[in-house]
Order: sequence, then structure tokens, then C-alpha cells
Amino acid sequence: MSRSTLVAAVVVTAVVTAIVSVSVTRTTGQSSRPARTADGKPNISGVWQAINEANWDLQAHDARAGAVTQRGVYPYEYANVPAAPVLALGAAAIVPGSVGVVQGDGQIPYTADAAKKKAENAANWIDRDPELKCYLPGIPRATYMPYPFQIVQSGSKIQMIYTFSNAARTIHLDNVADPPDDTWMGHSVGRWEGDTLVVDVSHFNDKTWFDRAGNFHSDALHVIERFTPINADALRYEATIEDKNVFTKPWTIAMPIYRRLESNAQILDFPCIDFTEEFLYGHLRKQQLVKHWEGETIAVDITRKVPAGERLFDWYGK
Amino acid sequence: MRKRLLQVAGVAAVIVAVIVLLKLAPAGSASASAALKTAWGDPDLQGIWTDDYQTPLQRPVKYANKPEFTEQERAELDQQRAAILRRNQRVEVGTERDVAGAYNAVFQSIKHTGKRTSLIVDPPDGRIPPLTAEAKQRADTDRQFRLALLQATATCKNGDTACAGGKYGPPSPRYKETPPFYNTGRLNRSNGPEDRSMTERCMAAVLPDFTGYRRIVQGPGTVSIFYDVGQGQGWQRVITLEQLPHLPSNVRQRFGDSRGHWEGNTLVVDVTNFSPKSDFQGARQNLHLVERWTRTDAKTLEYQVTIEDPTTWTKSWTVKQEMNRQDEQANRVYYEPRCHEGNYGLPALLSGTRAEEAAFAAGKGPDPATKDSATDFGAEGGVDALAGGG
Repeated sequence: MSRSTLVAAVVVTAVVTAIVSVSVTRTTGQSSRPARTADGKPNISGVWQAINEANWDLQAHDARAGAVTQRGVYPYEYANVPAAPVLALGAAAIVPGSVGVVQGDGQIPYTADAAKKKAENAANWIDRDPELKCYLPGIPRATYMPYPFQIVQSGSKIQMIYTFSNAARTIHLDNVADPPDDTWMGHSVGRWEGDTLVVDVSHFNDKTWFDRAGNFHSDALHVIERFTPINADALRYEATIEDKNVFTKPWTIAMPIYRRLESNAQILDFPCIDFTEEFLYGHLRKQQLVKHWEGETIAVDITRKVPAGERLFDWYGK
Repeated sequence: MRKRLLQVAGVAAVIVAVIVLLKLAPAGSASASAALKTAWGDPDLQGIWTDDYQTPLQRPVKYANKPEFTEQERAELDQQRAAILRRNQRVEVGTERDVAGAYNAVFQSIKHTGKRTSLIVDPPDGRIPPLTAEAKQRADTDRQFRLALLQATATCKNGDTACAGGKYGPPSPRYKETPPFYNTGRLNRSNGPEDRSMTERCMAAVLPDFTGYRRIVQGPGTVSIFYDVGQGQGWQRVITLEQLPHLPSNVRQRFGDSRGHWEGNTLVVDVTNFSPKSDFQGARQNLHLVERWTRTDAKTLEYQVTIEDPTTWTKSWTVKQEMNRQDEQANRVYYEPRCHEGNYGLPALLSGTRAEEAAFAAGKGPDPATKDSATDFGAEGGVDALAGGG
């Protein structure tokens, strides 16, 4: 290579680099956010949120009349009506339909026993879903709950901060000892494979769920997550789930995760411990606020008082 | 001309390349101060930190006008403090006094005595400034309610210090009242979760905090701090360095709203928007903090906070604490806050009280109002020279 060719090559490289740098440095009301970190990794810092129905049910499903339903006039599941605990919420308690996030045939490969337990979980959602008790949400569920989460990205550690329950986890990209006990949020060890952040999550307990539909796991859960930038404001999230006690083979969920573009996006306090005390301990009050507890079961008699002046009801009443 | 331009551009490219190489050079080859910067050039506060030494928040009265201990005094104090009996002392086993002081030496770590006689560096006497008249009134109203709930107990009958200012008598009619303020401490009543302390409800963490461990992870524009405050309790904080105004004043948070910026090597954080449910030394929604975090050397992080609330204290005050870097690899104590997930204590307290009430109603037990579930008797058993309150 002649000297002038070399110089030309260097110049072309420099110019291309400059153009690339300019094109990927962008502002959205915040300070400029380079596409890559100082050490050349994709910059995934920021506030993110999944926008889908996965937290209701990972699998493809019809819309449902409520988060809990009971048999209506017809003996068909599709004709169920909302059950008492959510009835007064009307359409706010409807479960939206979904095309699902489970890859391949869309099925979760439960063992026969585990499939039975999943069905029981769904039927007893209010009593069993750890979300309702404000328990730590676990991984992968924390990622696609309907709240924002924040990624703080450093070279050797990546901190993920979730709105729900003020949960957080540290992803260790460096050498760290195993935790001394099982955990709710898992033990996360990460590495970069090209532009994909791969996180190996282990040391789980058996107490978290995957969604509000009763999908569950044991303490043998092992999750491999992949975060891959699609563009500056979207990541592809993929989680492969293994648990030999519950599933006959590994299965994978995938979805995009979107950047919250508001210039003032931030994770706000979610003080669900005191917000769920009534749910958890209301039956133990000296003077109960809910009038009808049967042991630890809230027997809810739905009373909906329609205020005077509500046009539709006034019209019906005539 | 064209060739000349190319050459100039080429030189520029080489310079850029050299700069890039310098930026990517491993920390080991840089000077010590450069090693305390992140890859993107901010001061590096990252790691796991705690104060390895015991220093009282307020200077004990006996050390007035003495801001620092000598090395010899520290060694002597270490010996004295290690020998304090209460650390393993139990009052009559099985009594309510014993149960109320449940945490013995196994649950308490003894740290070496620190260099300073108080964490408070301003005012110079090392003491929290006097309360405002309004705050005194609040404190007194709160205290009177607590004493009324204690008055039928042996604590008041025996004239324990926990009943100071109160009297002994039949159960107070105030037993039926709502507390004058949102309760954060242990009331001698368990009508519902709200009567119990924030610690028992797994919401003990407050800001500022001078105990426990922090894990700091930084990114460009953000500093995150996870606080492990013990008893399985902790919380995650995110400090934005973006130039953003504070949250609207009607948005209130337990740990306030943090806005940070760099002043030289110091992270300065302004914290407002505290919740009326948060309680730091009697200050609630009007608390305002200005924190200064400075990495002073590879193993030391200096934390300084100026604490202000014109509805609580007659002037602002400042606390300074040096935190020490902890082993990154061990991964033992800095763990997830799962107090709430395993909180059997709170429902047991409530259901135990309901059982006592039922027994009392059936003539089979004492009035629960005559029993003390508020006082921490364990704290009375010995006098630690570093107990700051005195």
C-alpha cells in the first residue's frame, strides 16, 4: 500500500467514523445520548418499558371479562362474567386479549402435574399471585410488568431498577461469588456477545410467577436473557426459561422493550407494602374495614351506589 | 492543495485515534486520580460502601468540646463497649420484657470506635439544633398519646424511663383514638398494622441514612444507590444528573426526589418532595437535604449532608461520614430486601393481640392494654459511652 493510499484510507475511516458518530448521537430533550458507551458497548442506559399484555398472560388468549371470572348464564368459559372481587371495577378489570409472547408453537411445555397446578393457580389468582401481595416480582416478570424500569449501565455492573415494589438487581459482568441463599430476583451474571447483553439468572426460590395467569416455576428455574438493541429507542428482549421440575423442555419468550422518550421520565416511588397491608392483614384488625371476612378470605358483597344525576341510570329508572 | 488537505485531515485522524486509544487505556496505566474516574470521565463513586466505625450521630454530653478521640481513648472505649453486658443479657426469660428486647448480641455488630465524637459536624457542638416551637408541640402531642397508651402497664407502674412524663392508672380512654399524626413508631396498641412501627412493617428505611451498606452503580447521567439498611430492609435510589426541575410539589415520595450535579469531584444532590409518611428525626414532608458525595481516595467515600426543615429545627445541621470500600466479590450481606415477603412477625403480633382480647373478654386473661408491646427494654440494659442521645 502506497503512503497516499494509506493516508486516504485513514481519512475515509475518520470521516466515516465522524458521520456515524453524528448520526447516532441524538437528543430527546435530555442531554445527548451516544449509541455506544465509552468502552464501545451498545448504550442501553435509560428508562424503558414493555408495552404488551404479557403480565396478564404470556400466552395468546382472548380478552376475558375480568381478572377473575365465574360462570355466567351459559356453561362456556367464553361466556363467563366477572367474579365478585373485581365486578365493581367494570371494564377496568377486563383482561385484554393478546397474540402472546411465547415463541414457536406458543405453548408452555408443562409436565402433566405442573399443567394441573397452573390451572389451579389461575383459578385461585387472588390468593396465590405474589404480585397482589407486593412481593418481589422475579425475573423475567419484572421486565414486562406494566411499569417503567431503568437501566444504569457501567462497565462491570449493570443495575436494573424496577418500579414495582422498588425492586432492583445488579447484573455482574465481573467475577462475583454465588449468593448464600436462593433469591426472589435471581442472581444475574452478564456478558456481552457482540451487541447483545446476555444475562444468566439462577439461584431463584419457587415463590415468583411469570404472569397473572398462574404460570409458575420451581426453585430449579434458570433464565437466560438477551437484550439486543433494535435501534436507539427499542431493545429486543428474549428470555429462555428452563426448569426440569416443571417443564419438559426449555421455552422462550420474546418482545420489544421501548424507551420512555419523555424528557422527564423517572422511576417513581411505588410504596406497595403499606398499600397491600389491608389486603394481607385486614382480617387481623381489631375493627375490620371490610365487613365480611371468613377467616382469611375476603367475602366481598359488591355494593355499587349510583350517584344521583347519572343520566343513563336515571333514564333506566323511569 | 488537495494533497495538502488530505495530509492535514490524515494528521487529524491520527490525533483522534491517539485520543481514542488514550481513553480506552486500562486504568492501571493511568495515574491514581485518573483511576477514580469512570470510563466516561465522571468521578467514580462505584462500589460497596459502609462506615466501618461506630460514631454516634450526636456528641454525647460527656464529650462536649471534644470533637475527636485520641487513639488511646478509642482503644479504651473499644474494650469498654465490648464488655457491655446487655449484649447478651436477657431479662426473665419468657416475660414480655424479654420478648420486647428480642435482639441480643447475635443481631448486633460491634464496630470499632470512630475518630470523631459525633457524626454531626455543624453546629460545632455536635448536637442536633433545638426544635422549633411548632416541632416541640408536635413532639409533645405525640408523646402524650404514647404515654396514655402505656399508662396501664407495668412499665408505668414501675416508673421505667420509658414512661417518663407519664403516670400509672387504668387503661386510658385515649386507647380508642386515632394517633395525632401518621404513626411511625411502636405504639402500645395493635389495632392494625398502622399501630406498629415502620420497622415491624418492613418500611424502616429513611433518607438520610448513616447505617448499613450502599452499592453504587453509575452510568453517564445517572447514579444509582442501593441501600441495605439491615433486617432484610433496603431500597433502591436513582439520582438523575439531567438538568430537570424537581417533581411537582404534590408528588411525594418516601425517599424524596433527588436531583444531582457534579461540582468538581463532588456529586451534589438536592432532595425534596418527601412524604408525610417518611420520618427522619421528626421531620417529614418539609425535609430538604443537600448531599455531597466525594471519593477522597480509592478506599474512602465521604458523605456530607446538610439537613434542613424550618418547621422542625431552628437552623440547618450537617452530618459528615466517611465510608469504607467493601469487598466486591464476597456478595454476602448486600442482598435483596425481602423483609415484607417473610413478615410473619406483623400478622403474629396482630393475631396475638386479637387472641388476648378474646381471652380478656371471656374472663381468661388480662386486659391487653395492661401489657407493654411498645418499649424496647433491651436498649435499657447498659450504657454505651457512644450512645448519642444523652
